[in-house]
Amino acid sequence: MAEDQELLPVDPQSGKPIPRTKQPGYYPRYSTLSQKKFWDATTRKLIEERVANIPPIRFFTQAELPLITAVTSRVLPQDDRLAEYRIPIVPWIDHRLFENEIDGYRFEDMPDDREAYRLGLQAIEQTAHAMYAKLFVELEPLDQDAVLKTIHDGEKRAAHEIWSRMSVDRFWHLLVQDCVSAYYSHPWAWDEIGYGGPAYPRAYTRLENGLPEPWEVDEQRYEWQAPASSLSGAYDQQAGATDKPVHGQGGTH
Amino acid sequence: MKEPLFGAFRQARSDVHNLGPLQRIAKGTKQYRDDEEVDYVIVGLGSAGGVLLQRLAKAGFKVVGIEAGPFWDTELDWVSDEKGSHKLYWNDLRITGGTDPLSLGENNSGKGVGGGSVHWAAFAPRFHPSDFRVYTEDGVGADWPISYDELKPYYELLEREIPVAGPAYFPWGDPHGYPYGPHPLGAVGDVLVKGCTKLGIRVCAGGPVAILSGSHGNRPHCIYRGFCIQGCKVGAKASTLITHVPEAIRYGAEVRELSMVSRVSMRNRDRVNGVFYFDREGREHFQKAKAVIVSGYAIETPRLLLNSACPGHEHGLSNGSGTLGRYLMAQAGNVVLGRFADLIRMYKAPPAHALSEEFYETDPRRGFARGFAIQTVAPLPIAFAKQMMAAKGAWGWGMRRVLMDYNHWATLGVLGEILPWEDNRVEIANEKDQFGIPVAKVTFNLHENDKKMIAFGVKKVTEIMRAAGAEEVVQESRYAHLVGACRMGSDPRDSVVDKFGRTHEIANLFVCDGSILPTQGSANPGLTIQALAARTADYLISQGERIFTSDRRDMTTPPIRYSLAVEDSFTKGVPRFV
Ligand SMILES: Cc1cc2nc3c(=O)[nH]c(=O)nc-3n(C[C@H](O)[C@H](O)[C@H](O)COP(=O)(O)OP(=O)(O)OC[C@H]3O[C@@H](n4cnc5c(N)ncnc54)[C@H](O)[C@@H]3O)c2cc1C
Ligand code: SF4
Repeated sequence: MAEDQELLPVDPQSGKPIPRTKQPGYYPRYSTLSQKKFWDATTRKLIEERVANIPPIRFFTQAELPLITAVTSRVLPQDDRLAEYRIPIVPWIDHRLFENEIDGYRFEDMPDDREAYRLGLQAIEQTAHAMYAKLFVELEPLDQDAVLKTIHDGEKRAAHEIWSRMSVDRFWHLLVQDCVSAYYSHPWAWDEIGYGGPAYPRAYTRLENGLPEPWEVDEQRYEWQAPASSLSGAYDQQAGATDKPVHGQGGTH
Repeated sequence: MKEPLFGAFRQARSDVHNLGPLQRIAKGTKQYRDDEEVDYVIVGLGSAGGVLLQRLAKAGFKVVGIEAGPFWDTELDWVSDEKGSHKLYWNDLRITGGTDPLSLGENNSGKGVGGGSVHWAAFAPRFHPSDFRVYTEDGVGADWPISYDELKPYYELLEREIPVAGPAYFPWGDPHGYPYGPHPLGAVGDVLVKGCTKLGIRVCAGGPVAILSGSHGNRPHCIYRGFCIQGCKVGAKASTLITHVPEAIRYGAEVRELSMVSRVSMRNRDRVNGVFYFDREGREHFQKAKAVIVSGYAIETPRLLLNSACPGHEHGLSNGSGTLGRYLMAQAGNVVLGRFADLIRMYKAPPAHALSEEFYETDPRRGFARGFAIQTVAPLPIAFAKQMMAAKGAWGWGMRRVLMDYNHWATLGVLGEILPWEDNRVEIANEKDQFGIPVAKVTFNLHENDKKMIAFGVKKVTEIMRAAGAEEVVQESRYAHLVGACRMGSDPRDSVVDKFGRTHEIANLFVCDGSILPTQGSANPGLTIQALAARTADYLISQGERIFTSDRRDMTTPPIRYSLAVEDSFTKGVPRFV
């Protein structure tokens, strides 16, 4: 297995790994939760519960659990966070699938979300086997990324039977969207990115020029590179994105 | 004023029904028995249904609004949180396909009293006069059976009722001013104004949006918290839940929540006599009614009419022409994202606060018919992350990095007119929902004109983003605002309803919502849908008992009834002029 240090983002000046912290990002000591007494009661209760009550695993089997955990920790890596400040991802995906909470539609070339996860995990395993003759969980992080990158790229290296029943691109979108929904709904992620969070009934009053509210903090940037043991630091348009445009399911206007 | 403006610093009360921090009504509404014949059943209390319910109740009719979702208490049910607002959307199953399948769900329609007006961004521009005669002017799409001038008084009325904030002079289409003053700009609006100004493109700042720039009776003004699409707890953003439904209840309307209509029932070949619905426990009921109005949104309305097929109407109600479900439209909603060296913090201010309609009309030099608008949008972190997945292929560390830069990005939306095409449609799928009702299948294909319009629009907005100083610009393709699929027209051979929303084949069955639009322009549809609802209500009221007893179609345009507008529309708050 890769050295622990190789999992960390790197300071490009010194070439050294950046030590793990409680709160990565450019807004040190910023805390949305510190403002919770200014939130309305319904919102406060929901966010407090989100942080405190992590749902139990009920959908994924004991056999699937290590695999989905390994996959999501590459799709949304948190190696830069101290272990006790990592944001739960798998429990929320599990919760959604167990409760069968759907987004209101299914693409005609996709099975339902539960089936899509079961098939997708098998396809990832088959791809790992075809590329490295190993289980996905046994691979080095870099090789795990290489497996996932084929799915990001819509490459279909293996699992042809599964991909004939399910769109590889859409499975990738399902997985990424579930991971970001879990991560960026957590107040620690809001602190990381400098997002203001709930503001009722108090209001935002500094609307222009990116100015912070009195309780927000100003940005303090630092440079970092993605860990050497990763492939996800670069941006690659997904293959097929031009003839089959990809869109996220978020509403805007 | 006896109460502090921001009432919610106090605890929300649980013994009343809260519609915003200051507007409180008694819990519960009138309740009709199923076997008691009411005058009107309205299926769906959304943008259109909410207005209809208020008008018909105020005019003295016995009316029940049957709504699939909950009757929200905004203080107790809603949150300032992206993920926690998922329940506002229509999350029941639909199937989506075609060459360019639409994302539905949160990108699309609401469930619960207020419908889509609960989570709309509240951009409230009018359609242009040219939108009503697209076929005559451009040889594509369709003409409306009414003209802009027929709808204009209703635009003016609804702009006062809900009300709309915007500039004193709005230069496009039929130029006009707004009753409430424009909003201050957020940083995304600054980007749009700056980019457009550099390029000599006219741009409108601070509206038109159905968001209060000054308080209005028991509705406080906007606090710029940016959660419009998650439902405005403040009550500053208009939704029929807080603008029209309270008055409907005061005049004796029933709101029957958590009740899903499965079928419109026919008394005989020519007339309906009520609806079948499932209550929250899944029990089936039949509500008797003298007339039925379907206001369920551009997907659920055709779904219900198709599912109501019966002997004499084998292909669905009012579908002798085969037009039901066809000519479904969505607007192109591509989002252009620009990264700036300076901080933006786009989560502040309402996402909707500045726009340009400079490219709205046909310009033959562009090589396609019709056009597009440009509008501010402002995704919160989860929606932004999904856009970055689509726009940059971001995942893993790349996702973490670009989100750490969330505060440096600004986003502008293209809102483009996709034409009505026969092959874009709603049908019935094989799957069933939790009640056993067959679900809708939506097919969507882009055509040549649409593709050219989208490419041109994205290019133009990219130029504006660059002119405003963005150092990196990417885009995500999206669609917004489904309308059509039960279109109105004069000819029963290629439309489903007449110009008052009455189905061509059944004299006491009406459709009133976005599904009756023959074309969609590049204006967000919400205001037009509400204006059409007020007009349909005036027609029904002027026809009186004849709707319930006669099959004769009187096509006389009714007078507009200002007296039925929401009380004090002309005296509340701080309107710019009286
Ligand atoms: C994210 C987002 C932003 C938007 N922003 C804007 C904007 O800025 N400006 C604008 O003009 N528009 C906007 N829209 C679009 C706008 O919300 C819709 O066009 C509008 O609400 C449609 O009105 P409607 O009356 O047709 O249907 P809806 O408002 O959707 O109402 C339909 C209602 O019927 C109910 N219903 C459906 N079927 C049944 C049934 N069988 N039984 C019982 N009840 C049923 C539904 O639960 C729903 O409450 C936005 C939409 C989204 C998703
Ligand atoms: S920005 Fe204004 S209108 Fe939008 S949710 Fe906040 S208070 Fe309501």
